[in-house]
Amino acid sequence: MTGLVRALVACYPPAWRRRYGEEYAQLLRDLRVHRRPALVVDSLFGAVRAHGGALMSRRSPMTSLVWAAGLFTVAGLAFAKLAEDFHGQARASYAVLVVAATVALLALAVAAAPALRDRHAWKYAVVPLAGTALWYGTVRLTLALSTGRNAVGFVVVAAAGTLVVGATAWAASAALRRAPVASGAAIRVVAAAGMGLATIAALAWGLQVRSLGGSGFLAGPFLPSWIGVVVALAAATALAGSSARYRTAAGHS
Amino acid sequence: MDGWEEMVDELGRWAEPSLLVLASLADGAKHGYAITTDVAEQVGVTLGPGTLYAALSRLEDRGLIEALPAEGRRRPYRLTAAGAAELSAQATRMQRLAALSLGRLRLGPA
Repeated sequence: MTGLVRALVACYPPAWRRRYGEEYAQLLRDLRVHRRPALVVDSLFGAVRAHGGALMSRRSPMTSLVWAAGLFTVAGLAFAKLAEDFHGQARASYAVLVVAATVALLALAVAAAPALRDRHAWKYAVVPLAGTALWYGTVRLTLALSTGRNAVGFVVVAAAGTLVVGATAWAASAALRRAPVASGAAIRVVAAAGMGLATIAALAWGLQVRSLGGSGFLAGPFLPSWIGVVVALAAATALAGSSARYRTAAGHS
Repeated sequence: MDGWEEMVDELGRWAEPSLLVLASLADGAKHGYAITTDVAEQVGVTLGPGTLYAALSRLEDRGLIEALPAEGRRRPYRLTAAGAAELSAQATRMQRLAALSLGRLRLGPA
């Protein structure tokens, strides 16, 4: 139980842990959290909220959605990498995931597009373009230096990609702070619903691939990767869902 | 008050966990597990640990509750005067709404 409690507390931000960590760990022990999966999930969502902080507040629902989309994109890229080795399997779930993810990200783009009218928006639009160029340079350099399988190189490329997505989300949220958009709740609901459907599809995809495959569900390194992807997608959906609860962005700015 | 709107929605209603925590602390200081047990027994709502500490953190930030010295690894919290006043105001508002709703339901068609 101690390991689980320590892991759940570690999910919270450092400042939060310094203030509440010890008493929170005791509460988790008192609640016998190791026997209650629902409380484990609640604790994980609490950690997401704590990390979100102001981003989760109703004053900036678009900002929450932007960061949700960032997390969703990273999880989606991880899923694409995971699915590479299972090409052609569980096609229906895979197709649902791709369509739902596309709908979610298009809804976000439509909701945020009016912010591009701001005359300073180009400064922020440069961030994803420059970031992508830097990431591509990192990939080429890593490939040039690699011989055969290179775990360190893969981690460097993945970390660089995550940084680019994070920088893009930061730029988008900064642009939205400069030029808040009054997007309707409906468009944020569509984005959150798309992410939710993609999460379910990723869950179904993993179950199908391993249940129907010959190597058994628990075999190989697949399981932790798949669980990590599904948890990240679910966290993104929860963050997006929090933004979908509010009626307008401008009304709370 | 900055950040105040994190606890109330666009209709001015309080988030339920925060209100449940205030109500639980109304009869004296309690630590996290005691609040969870009290709310489950009295209201039948299970407050998860993440939900509880999100509420405690917000209420403490707003000065509606305050932390007392730790008792071992558990830290009790108690209502502040501002917290008691806010709970009273919210309870009065809910009482009026309940009386109005029940009264009109009785007058309505069977």
